[in-house]
Amino acid sequence: MNGTLNGSMNGDAIIKLRNIAKSYWRETLEIPVLQGIDFDIPKGGYYALMGPSGSGKTTLLNLIAGIDRPTGGSLEVCGYELNDLDDDELAAWRNAHVGFIFQNYNLIPVLTAFENVELPLLLTPMSRRERRERVEEVLALVNLEDRMLNYPRQLSGGQEQRVAIARAIVGDPDLLVADEPTGALDHQNAEEVLNLMARLNTDMGKTILVVTHDPKAAHHARFQIHLDKGVFDKTVEVNR
Amino acid sequence: MKYVRFILKSLTRSKRRTLLILSTITLSVFLVTVLQSLLTTLDAVSNNPTSSNRLVVRHKSGLAQVLPMSYLAYLKQQPEVEFATYLQWFGGQYKDPSNFFANFASDETTLFQVFKEEFGASGVTEDQIQDFVRDGSGCIVGQSLADKFGWKVGDVIPLQGTIFPISPRLTIRVIFKGTKPSQENVLHFHYKLLEESVPRMKGKVGTFFLRVHNADEIPRLSARIDNHYANSASETLSETENAFNLSFVKMLGNISAIIQGITAAVLVAILIVTAGTMSTAIRERTTEIAVLRAMGFRTGLVMSLLLGEGVILVGAGGIFGVGLASLAAGGIRKGVGASVPFLEDFTLLPSTMLLCLGITFVVGLLSTFIPAYQATRRPITEGLRSIG
Ligand SMILES: Nc1ncnc2c1ncn2[C@@H]1O[C@H](COP(=O)(O)OP(=O)(O)OP(=O)(O)O)[C@@H](O)[C@H]1O
Ligand SMILES: [Mg+2]
Repeated sequence: MNGTLNGSMNGDAIIKLRNIAKSYWRETLEIPVLQGIDFDIPKGGYYALMGPSGSGKTTLLNLIAGIDRPTGGSLEVCGYELNDLDDDELAAWRNAHVGFIFQNYNLIPVLTAFENVELPLLLTPMSRRERRERVEEVLALVNLEDRMLNYPRQLSGGQEQRVAIARAIVGDPDLLVADEPTGALDHQNAEEVLNLMARLNTDMGKTILVVTHDPKAAHHARFQIHLDKGVFDKTVEVNR
Repeated sequence: MKYVRFILKSLTRSKRRTLLILSTITLSVFLVTVLQSLLTTLDAVSNNPTSSNRLVVRHKSGLAQVLPMSYLAYLKQQPEVEFATYLQWFGGQYKDPSNFFANFASDETTLFQVFKEEFGASGVTEDQIQDFVRDGSGCIVGQSLADKFGWKVGDVIPLQGTIFPISPRLTIRVIFKGTKPSQENVLHFHYKLLEESVPRMKGKVGTFFLRVHNADEIPRLSARIDNHYANSASETLSETENAFNLSFVKMLGNISAIIQGITAAVLVAILIVTAGTMSTAIRERTTEIAVLRAMGFRTGLVMSLLLGEGVILVGAGGIFGVGLASLAAGGIRKGVGASVPFLEDFTLLPSTMLLCLGITFVVGLLSTFIPAYQATRRPITEGLRSIG
């Protein structure tokens, strides 16, 4: 298949997609969205998923992040064959292995920055104190230690997205998935968020998969995957 | 519980909505608690333990008919009978028809023997009773009645007859306390006064009250009495005092059915209102719920958090409502109790309060369950897309 990247089909792959297909049904009519996707992403990779609107980027990202199920094929992510996990196991798996970053930040408005970041840790056996230390640590990492007690409405868009990033990494997941993380941000805030993500990749070794339309955002990644009409079009290594 | 804070904060999402629903539930639960307590209060009227060893003998054809006084001799002879007395509902008015209270022409000595508990609790002394016995136009009144009209011992009370063509002026000789307020809203005067001034009451009386040694003997005794007078000119109907009182409660109509009907309607109304509010509250949060689930919150946990929210909200309303009802109980006793018979005893039983809280709790669960279930069944991806 055209989209297979040389050198990434190795045992170190954190994401292994085999003949992945996803269809939706409208009445009896099958609408194929993804067809025969074979792909590996190595641990520590930073990939941008690009393509025209409706090409299936979000759908693919959701499958990899374990919040949707494929209609065909198999996918192994962070060492687990996701088809083998039931819904509760999959939820626990997401908590342990995946951090989500959304276009609209999706912070809980009635919770402070601190409480928003703490949420994923509530599912862990960590004590209250351990949680507090960990939350303060990641908020410092995104330079928001002085905004811990602010509510989302008291933060700028860029700050909100940084809180969301803190929330995504607080549980120390292996994989970060982001769907248009800079889509709602102005140039400067977008730049800040992209730099932060690059640091998470280089300094902390997080594997990052980001869906984006923005060429600048895609430029921060080390590889760009192009999806068209549900099949891989091409993969390009980003030259710096 | 590390999630309690989260649940409580969720309730602050729309303070106006939370307050609105809280006050709706508080008022409804208040209403339900008061209505249910009304039922238990009326129930207690016909379930009084101190009346269980008393038998009431009256005319078979109804309370308007009278029995020959000569029956007393036979009744007293029965081995089960400890004491016997007789009294006649006088139905007198004090100044204005709205000043309604029970007043009886009673035998001034045996009255105290048969109603030993009622008068015994008051600490009325033998001397006071003798004051009453000696004064042919004397009367005794209950404390709450005296309080209501500002009466004191020695005052003269004019009673305007409505059933009988006399209007006695009675001097208060004793003010007694009962074990509950309804026992105090009563006036007794000498039977002789009635008998001597109303020719048709000569040798006649409305009801006999018998005190028996042992309550278990009542069925046998009442059967024997009614048998004895069967086919006589004045047949009798004997029943326990509780059953007798119940027949008065029943005069208020089928209150129980009405109250249960209103209660059911109120409960359905809260169910609909809370279910509507909770489903709006949950629908608004579709994206948030999807985000929680994406970060690893299991469906069951999300469901519990939402149910917790509903239960806390409705439960708080329930506690406020029951609390309000217990605060209002005193007012109901004084206000409504003054004009509606039996309600001067209005009380909130702990069991009624618990029942109302329990029902409220169930309503909270039910009303949240359906929207919460729907929300957690939605695919996560759909929830995430819903704000675009
Ligand atoms: N629940 C659904 N039911 C039916 N069709 C769906 C559903 N979700 C997605 N699709 C279809 O699948 C296709 C791919 O959708 P997807 O959201 O993955 O595209 P995308 O590449 O992320 O687009 P965009 O850049 O606009 O976000 C689209 O044609 C979309 O209409
Ligand atoms: Mg998309």
